[in-house]
Amino acid sequence: MDILIISKYILIIAFMIMMIAALRASAYRTTSMGLLGSSVAVVAFAVALLVCGDLYNFTFFRDISLALIFFGFVGTVAFAVVAGGDT
Amino acid sequence: MIVEYIQSALLLIAAFLVIVSAVGLLSLSKGTKNAVYARIHIVGVFDVACIIAMIGLGQYLLAGIYFIIAPFTAHAIANAFYKSEDVENNAELNEVEEEIDESNPFIHPKSKIEKLDEDFSEKLKADDRFTFSTLDIVEEE
Repeated sequence: MDILIISKYILIIAFMIMMIAALRASAYRTTSMGLLGSSVAVVAFAVALLVCGDLYNFTFFRDISLALIFFGFVGTVAFAVVAGGDT
Repeated sequence: MIVEYIQSALLLIAAFLVIVSAVGLLSLSKGTKNAVYARIHIVGVFDVACIIAMIGLGQYLLAGIYFIIAPFTAHAIANAFYKSEDVENNAELNEVEEEIDESNPFIHPKSKIEKLDEDFSEKLKADDRFTFSTLDIVEEE
């Protein structure tokens, strides 16, 4: 088996672990930790989608991951501005 | 062939960093001071791992975009936490505003009572014309 494919599979497993860790982190007490955990989970899913799309040739996988990353950022910043009060 | 080796090395480095940041995100103990900021800092490692993985996969534009927007996210979350929930460091969150109802004769603000108390104690010290005494009255009398 090619070393590149093996490293891609290892990376997918690492992202799965990270998604579980992010879900656990988002369950902590403060609202900011929920925000942080959900943001990390979305980014981990987007990059895992990039790897999977590279392996299995999904359609539009780059566009979907770009949308996830970009709108995840927008949502996180918007929620942070609302949670942080004015300014 | 060499490019494949470089790509796989980048992906393996990214996988290592992702696992390290996942362990670090969960292993912070509950009593750690400023734990949220520490977790935001750990997520910075994860962001760099994502950028390395994107470069390893050949998605340079996405890596550049994420390289720019990741610090904004971290700063926004830290700022929101400081302003709304950080009781340890933000002194403004510990202040309790007193609601003063002027129409209520029984409730007065604490500062007003303290000022009255100070004035009254100074008057008492200056004025010693009055003395207090107690009389013992027996029933037989």
